[in-house]
Order: sequence, then structure tokens, then C-alpha cells
Amino acid sequence: MIPFMSWLTDFLIRRGAAALSMWRTWRGIFRFAGQALTATLTPAAYNSATRMVVMKQIYFTAWQILLPFTLFAGLLSYVVIQIVVSTAAQYGLSEYALEMSMRVLVPEVLPLVTALFVALRSSSAINTEVALMRIHNEIDALEAAGVDTLRMEFMPRVIGGVVSVVALTAITSVLALALAYIALYGFQLWSLPDFTRVMGKVFDLTIMVGVWVKCVAFGLAVTVIPVAEGLATPKMLFMAPISVLRGMVRLFFVLMFIEVASLALKYL
Amino acid sequence: MKWQADDAARQAFLSSHAHAALVSADMPLRANLAVLENIAVVPQYRDNLSYREAADVAWNLLLTAGYTDCAYKRDPALNHEERFVAKLLRAAVSRPDLLLIDRPAMLLPDTRYPPFVDELLRRMETHLNDCWILDYLWNKPLYAPR
Repeated sequence: MIPFMSWLTDFLIRRGAAALSMWRTWRGIFRFAGQALTATLTPAAYNSATRMVVMKQIYFTAWQILLPFTLFAGLLSYVVIQIVVSTAAQYGLSEYALEMSMRVLVPEVLPLVTALFVALRSSSAINTEVALMRIHNEIDALEAAGVDTLRMEFMPRVIGGVVSVVALTAITSVLALALAYIALYGFQLWSLPDFTRVMGKVFDLTIMVGVWVKCVAFGLAVTVIPVAEGLATPKMLFMAPISVLRGMVRLFFVLMFIEVASLALKYL
Repeated sequence: MKWQADDAARQAFLSSHAHAALVSADMPLRANLAVLENIAVVPQYRDNLSYREAADVAWNLLLTAGYTDCAYKRDPALNHEERFVAKLLRAAVSRPDLLLIDRPAMLLPDTRYPPFVDELLRRMETHLNDCWILDYLWNKPLYAPR
């Protein structure tokens, strides 16, 4: 009986410590999200330095990858459209092909692929950079020089992430619409009224608001989680890769949670 | 000069002068910014100057110190002396009432640092208010009599 009690106590202590650690991490993420959002919505938080860093972040996160990512998204969209169109034709459902392909691509696939791409390319870099800044004391050094690191370093990354995910999704969605038109009607313009009528039916106000809210949530996730995880890194160099690993795993689950929640809200 | 008997005394001294601008091994430069940007970011942020104006301020300080060669280098490319100058100018650019140079031996391990620091402070004297050097008592013989 005593060994069992000892095992049980040990088990509960360890599980309790793990639960407390997870609670502290999520509290840190939500606290940072609150601070960053408050700073973002405060006009006084913007000055010359902040604006410059915001522009740099948008350049690095969106502009640098615009061409390759747009080409990839175009290829992916075209393949998905062709699959849906040919499958629909086999089942005699050609009239629904456009609607089906757009319902899958624009509100679901493209925002998620964009968020995953930005996460792989920028979030891992942000997590590593913030973790190293913390480990090397650069954050304290900037604060000591009178520079508010939330406004100067972190808030611009959040704005850059949100703007990048929203902008890249918008661009790739417009491209997907154009490709869908070409796939179905070919290179001519006189089917445009039919096309716009179907698109108007697919993208009603609720869907559009849902897509934009989801894109903003994705944009916040791909920046807030890596920054918060980097800020929570203990000041030991060997913890940097562990911080990035934890941040990326959390980010993946949050992105999936947002996607599943949006699907559940839409279809359940 | 502020001579410290040991690390505990040094820590206590720093705590009692927390408002002072610090040049220290514990206060690194921002690694992804060049020296010019590391200095310029302070007036750009604190005084809302444009980058060009802030960079002019930083350039003039580097010119006064005689270290414009390192303006576009980032931290890993700097030697100890250049890094020390960059840290000093970043701390001095906002013209703090008091500037503390903490353990210069840690910042300038390959340099006979007392004359180097003296010469640099002499060049920068019009840009500095009060400046104290914190060093351990056992390094006192390295300094010229003051």
C-alpha cells in the first residue's frame, strides 16, 4: 500500500508541475497578446522607429516571399480546381464544380497554407531571434537605453505577421478566382456575369467576415506565440532550440484549432 | 573613478545608481543592427527623429570618437575596442546625467585599457555629462594618478 501511495504522490506532483508549467506558458502567451494588441491599437505607440520596424517586418514576411509563394499557391489552386472540376464532371455535377472548388480553396485551404508557410518561414525565425535576444540580455540592454522593446521589437512583428497573412491570403485568393474562371470558361470574358453571380452566392457577408477573422487570428498566432515563447526562454543558450521546438509545436496546434473551430462554426 | 572592493560592493553600487546609463559587458549591442543603427535607434525612438536625423546624430558621435570605420559593422564583426566604443556611444547618445563604465577590463581584455578609456573620454567630453569608471581596487595600479 505504501509503495502505491508513494507512486501516486510522485505521479500527482509531476503531473501537477507539468499542468502548472503549461498554465504559466499560456498565461504568458495571452498576457503578451493583450499587451501587443493594446499597443497596436494605441496611436501614441507609433513613432518613427516603430513605423520603420513595421515596414521591415512586412517586407521580410510578405514582400520577400510574394513571388514564389504566389506561384506555389497558383499551382496548388489550379491542381485543386482541376481535380474538383474533373471529379464533378464524372458524377454529372459540373454546374457545382466552381462553387465547390471555391468553397474549399478560398475560405479554407489558402488561409491555412498561407499561415503554415509564414509559420515555417518567419515564426521559427522570430522565436529563435527573441529567445537569443533574451538569452544574450539584449532586451534588458535596449530597455536600459530607454527603448521600449514591446513597441520597438515585438509589436511591429505582430503587425507584420497579421498584415502579411491577410495580404498573402487576399492575393492568392484573387489568383485562385482568376484560375478558376480560366479553368472553367477559358480565356474569354463573356461568362463573367455567370461567374460573379456564383461567387456572390458562395462568398456572402458571413463567409467573408469569417475568412477575415480567421486570417487575423492566424496572423496573431504566427507572431504572438513565437514571441511569447522566446520571451519565456530561460537565460541559458542550450534552451534556445527547445524554446523554438515548443513554440512551433504550440503554433501548429493553435493553427489547427483555429481551422477546426472555424469549420465547426460554419458547418455544425 | 569608483573603486570597488569586491563584486558584492559593485552590485550594491550599481543598484544605488540604477538611473545611470551603463556601459557594461552585461549590456550587449543589438546583434542584428549595425553600430550606427545601435546608436541611432535611441534618439530615433526616444525623440521621434527620422532615421536619417538619428543616423546623423550617431555618425557625428562616431566621428568625434574616431570610429566611423565600424559604423556599418554588426556586433560579431567588431573587435573589443570597437564594441566598447559602440556601447559607450549608445549609452551617451541620450546625454544621461551620469554614465557608468562598469569593469572596463571585461570589455577590453586585449587592450591596456586605462589610457584607451581616458583618451576616448577626452575626445567625447563635450558629449558627456558626468562619467564614472567602476573598477576593482586591485586594478588601481593600472591607472595613472588622478
